[in-house]
Amino acid sequence: MASFAKYRHAFLIGLQSNLVYRWNFAVRASFSLVHLAYVFILWGAAFAGQTSVAGFDLRQTLTYFIVMLILQFFISAMNEDYEVSEEIRNGLINQFLLKPINYFAYRFSIFAAARLVSGSLALLPILIAAPFLYHYVSLPSAGWTYVAAVPALLMSACIQFTLAYCFGLLTFWFLEIQSFVILSLAIETVFGGQVFPLDLLPRWLYEASSYLPYYYQMYFPAALLTGRIGTPEEALRGLVIQLFWVFALYGVAQLLWTRGLRRHTAVGG
Amino acid sequence: MRLLHYLRLWLACMRYSVIRTLMFRGDFIMWSLVELFWMAVNLGLIGVIYRHTDSIAGWNQWEMTLLVGTSLLIQRLLMGFFWTNLFEMGRNVRSGAFDFFIAQPGPLLFMVSTRKIDLDGFLNVPIALGVIIYAARQLGLDPGAAQIAVYALFIVCGLAIHYATLLFFISLVFWLQSAKGVEGGYFGLNEFSRLPRQALSGVASVVFVYALPVTIVTNVPASTLLHGIDWTSTVWLVSAAVFWWVLAVTLFHVGVRRYTSASS
Repeated sequence: MASFAKYRHAFLIGLQSNLVYRWNFAVRASFSLVHLAYVFILWGAAFAGQTSVAGFDLRQTLTYFIVMLILQFFISAMNEDYEVSEEIRNGLINQFLLKPINYFAYRFSIFAAARLVSGSLALLPILIAAPFLYHYVSLPSAGWTYVAAVPALLMSACIQFTLAYCFGLLTFWFLEIQSFVILSLAIETVFGGQVFPLDLLPRWLYEASSYLPYYYQMYFPAALLTGRIGTPEEALRGLVIQLFWVFALYGVAQLLWTRGLRRHTAVGG
Repeated sequence: MRLLHYLRLWLACMRYSVIRTLMFRGDFIMWSLVELFWMAVNLGLIGVIYRHTDSIAGWNQWEMTLLVGTSLLIQRLLMGFFWTNLFEMGRNVRSGAFDFFIAQPGPLLFMVSTRKIDLDGFLNVPIALGVIIYAARQLGLDPGAAQIAVYALFIVCGLAIHYATLLFFISLVFWLQSAKGVEGGYFGLNEFSRLPRQALSGVASVVFVYALPVTIVTNVPASTLLHGIDWTSTVWLVSAAVFWWVLAVTLFHVGVRRYTSASS
């Protein structure tokens, strides 16, 4: 119970520090509506003269991008990799080595707080735009998709955070991690389904991508919530692979942490 | 004389950037790969969409590739010349390191904008040019010298507009707590440079074609290669470049007056 209290406090501090940047999150969320406008125009033009693309109509495709946008603010890692990196580089991490606190759990508490703030603030511009967006929303009617989406969303957040955490830990070996992060972001943008729904890829490439962790970072829950995962069996298979990636990435994070600490030199008093 | 002085300052900064890049060669290779991958992402999107459709707003696959290639070329030039400088300005204002620029014996905006160049951005300029040339070949285009010269002028205008837009967004840091997330506005708007103008209608056309020059920045040069020189568009693009430049520079100087050092 005392152990939980530590992370509850970290969560509350995370809430406070993220609320300082509330305007930045709000501005960022508003700008994402600009991205949504781009998506609507591009896909609207691509659908001109045809009723469906890869078996989905325009409304289903636009719903996919709306859901993707909302999920980004609730579950995606934003600056966590840089924050971990800065704490290692500046020596701030030393204080955690001397205290009975798990650094992974501490950072995860801050991440959860940050996403609660960014997600809530992102809802404001989306709610303002709701009367317009409402006409383009087409959600699946099958109840099982929503049931499967809950664990999928939680595991997606874990994968997002753990990947960012791992990239942050690379600072033990490299002075500058930004290029790794941006390269990973580019891969994630494609294989996470943020540029286009992955089912538009050639079948073999789509199948291959479904084994990558990027697929489960964002595409999988978004596909569940928008009816792009067609059967409960397919959803179950996805959840099992996603669970595997949660544990595998946690294992990698622990390995990087223990190996990294061996290289770490704490300087100063 | 003054121009010569600026040129000397810029060359000194360039020399410093080249030496720095040679010191961090691994980083240079990684960033070049990153930029290359992002370019591939943009071209990949075109490839995927055209697997399922023949035309976007009347533009076929190679016309769209030409448009996207033009957008990538302008963006690579921006990345090479100005991106790091303006991005760091946002951080420096917040941390107080902006004092360093104010104390320098040179025009503030010039010193802020030209301190570093990114060679990895430039490395991908020939690749963006290659995409444009390949698309032009696929379309069977054979532009004349005048067309190519006007296209080059439009690229310079496009670079000026992109610089001004980015400076505009980053200058908001003088009013906000930090520029974190604000630069996303630039990338959000930049996406419209990869859309055919004909795809926009109604309010979107008013905003992204007439009020903000994001679409014409690429559509005008690409149309010059595709359909020849249109003097109305030329005047339009040059005027937009001048207008946005003045607006962004004014906002920057108004913002500087609000700046209070954060250092001890």
